[in-house]
Amino acid sequence: MNLRVVGCNYRTAAVELREKLAFDAAKQDRAVSELTTRFGCEVVLLSTCNRVELYTARPPQESPFDLEQAALYLAEIHGLTPDAVRPLLYERADAEAVVHLTRVTASLDSLVVGEGQIAGQVKAAFDFAQKAAATGALLNALFPHALRVAKRVRTETGIARGHVSVSSVAVDYVRQVFDHFGDKTILVIGAGKMARLTLKHLEALKPERILVTNRSPAKAAEVAGMCGGVPVPWEQLDAALAETDIALSTTGAAEPIMPASRFNAAVLPKRGSGTLVVLDIAVPRDFDPAIHDGDRVCLFNIDDLTRVREQTIAQRQKHLAPAEAIVAAEAKKFLDDWNRRKSGPVIQLLRTEFDKVRAEVLAGILGKLNGKLTDADKAYIEGGFRLLQNKLLHGPIAALQQASKDGESRPLLDAVRKLFRLGAG
Amino acid sequence: MPGSLPNVTHACFALSYLLALAVELARLRWPRPGLRVSGLVLGAAGLFAHSLFLALRQPTPATAYGGLLVVAWVLAVFYLYGTLHDGKRAWAVFVLPLVLGLVSLAFVVAAGQAEVPLGLPWESEHRLWGALHGIFVLCAAVGVSVGAVASVMYLIQANRLRRKKNPLGGLKLLSLERLETMNRRAVTLAFPFLTAGLLLGAVLLRQYHDFGDNWFSPKVLGTVGLWAVFLLLLYLRYVVHVTGRRLARLTLVAFALMLGVLVAAHPFAAGEPRPRGSGIPEGAP
Repeated sequence: MNLRVVGCNYRTAAVELREKLAFDAAKQDRAVSELTTRFGCEVVLLSTCNRVELYTARPPQESPFDLEQAALYLAEIHGLTPDAVRPLLYERADAEAVVHLTRVTASLDSLVVGEGQIAGQVKAAFDFAQKAAATGALLNALFPHALRVAKRVRTETGIARGHVSVSSVAVDYVRQVFDHFGDKTILVIGAGKMARLTLKHLEALKPERILVTNRSPAKAAEVAGMCGGVPVPWEQLDAALAETDIALSTTGAAEPIMPASRFNAAVLPKRGSGTLVVLDIAVPRDFDPAIHDGDRVCLFNIDDLTRVREQTIAQRQKHLAPAEAIVAAEAKKFLDDWNRRKSGPVIQLLRTEFDKVRAEVLAGILGKLNGKLTDADKAYIEGGFRLLQNKLLHGPIAALQQASKDGESRPLLDAVRKLFRLGAG
Repeated sequence: MPGSLPNVTHACFALSYLLALAVELARLRWPRPGLRVSGLVLGAAGLFAHSLFLALRQPTPATAYGGLLVVAWVLAVFYLYGTLHDGKRAWAVFVLPLVLGLVSLAFVVAAGQAEVPLGLPWESEHRLWGALHGIFVLCAAVGVSVGAVASVMYLIQANRLRRKKNPLGGLKLLSLERLETMNRRAVTLAFPFLTAGLLLGAVLLRQYHDFGDNWFSPKVLGTVGLWAVFLLLLYLRYVVHVTGRRLARLTLVAFALMLGVLVAAHPFAAGEPRPRGSGIPEGAP
């Protein structure tokens, strides 16, 4: 195995540096092509917002595509100096590289442990390389293996349980209150960036209508236009709240726009028996927390949503140890299988060669003794020869298998081929 | 009980339900597919034994014993359907204790009686009307029981929301809206049954029994009280629009009252009946 991974991630490089090393589709295409043709590598290039990594494999007898070569190439393709790139990079070789890829794919090395996107990004990078004919035996075996292990980790541990984005947590809360959304009204108050993100999640629920209100009618109209909503004058906020099921508030107001006294006097009496969910993700808060009762009004502010997010991340940390154990066991299994694949054909050739010689010698002996032996005698002699062959081969085969496990089988494989002239056969 | 019938006892289905409940509780801690299948198999086995018991022994629904067993059976069907239909929710944790409670109560009631009335009472015209009365009240009882289960789940869910618990932690429950709908439908459907059962019972009492004594029996008074609570529930829901939490609590009160009504001795069977005309056989519903 001559496998290397060289790259940088959120731990080794700040975002502005990662941005400089990131690959768009055109650059990725060029890099995959060049690394294959110029450097004779199998290659998969993984470029996400949190990491840029080059997975390369070369024939065992050749020198690996190491950190130095990678730094030079990355500097060249991105128009940087090697000295600027080199300190950002890390390198993992062979078994460590196998473990690294598996950890990355299983999202154990992610900024948010257990996030679900990375496996898809790894798969996309592998598919891209495969289509460019940049992968060979090793990477074609390694990447599907890593994707399988990632799936196993997600299924068998709680590493991916729960949501870690504030918007997703908000939707989780909404789903605890409402069952269906086709008859629901969403009111968007304000036009902050977070509101737009959360609104995207809420839009996926397909509500009956979306109302948008803002101190600035132009902004209200803009947001309404983006989400197919209806702008509502700011002065009609109370009336709009009275007929709303889900309110998403994110104004930049310095004071709460909805104190409890106003809500209880102007909104609550006009509402029917339905529950109002308020997602107050503004800082400072737009709604008075006192209106929350968990029955008629369920109010969740940014602190509540962030707390759940933190809890989920903490919960996931508890599943790290079993996930790491799965990764370690599967990486070892992959390495054993890979090494066995390497020594297996030689062992098979060795056995075949010995079988052939044994059959020839036996045929000669039995021919000379023809007529003097019973069938039982023949079987006894044949058994004796087979036993002798097995005993003779036991040492070399055990040594080959052990060397494969240790990852140092190549010299021994070459020696066995030469000693027994297996290549010639 | 007749010895010629297959040896299906309360213990058969009660133990199956109990084991199913234990498995479902374990599934909360260790959510393995194997446990889900085991829980379903045990629950289905319990329901099968329960059905066989009811089919073969035919406990009279008009008695507390028979009524409780029939309501428990309907709830067991409800539990199994819910678990099959939506395996992520903790149906068993809420419904099976109720089923087990009703079966246990039936057993206790039966143990206190010298002889448990068996056989479906269809033989004569009055018995047919009496059975109809019993079936209406039982349908209402099933509605209240389903409403009670939904109410307990609602209260827990509302409490979790009030305390802003992690939405993906703890028990997997239905949304407030779904639970409220379930409660509303159960109570709304149960009310006409209860009203019809009550009216039919009043007519039967008036026709076949001495009016004064039986009208004030605990069963009749309890049923009237239950009907009044139902009326209050519907009024609060559709006219006053009170919160779901209050309605859930009131549904639980109705459920407790219903248990009292089911357990109370039936006026047709209790004491010495004093028929006005041709008389009515004892044990009739």
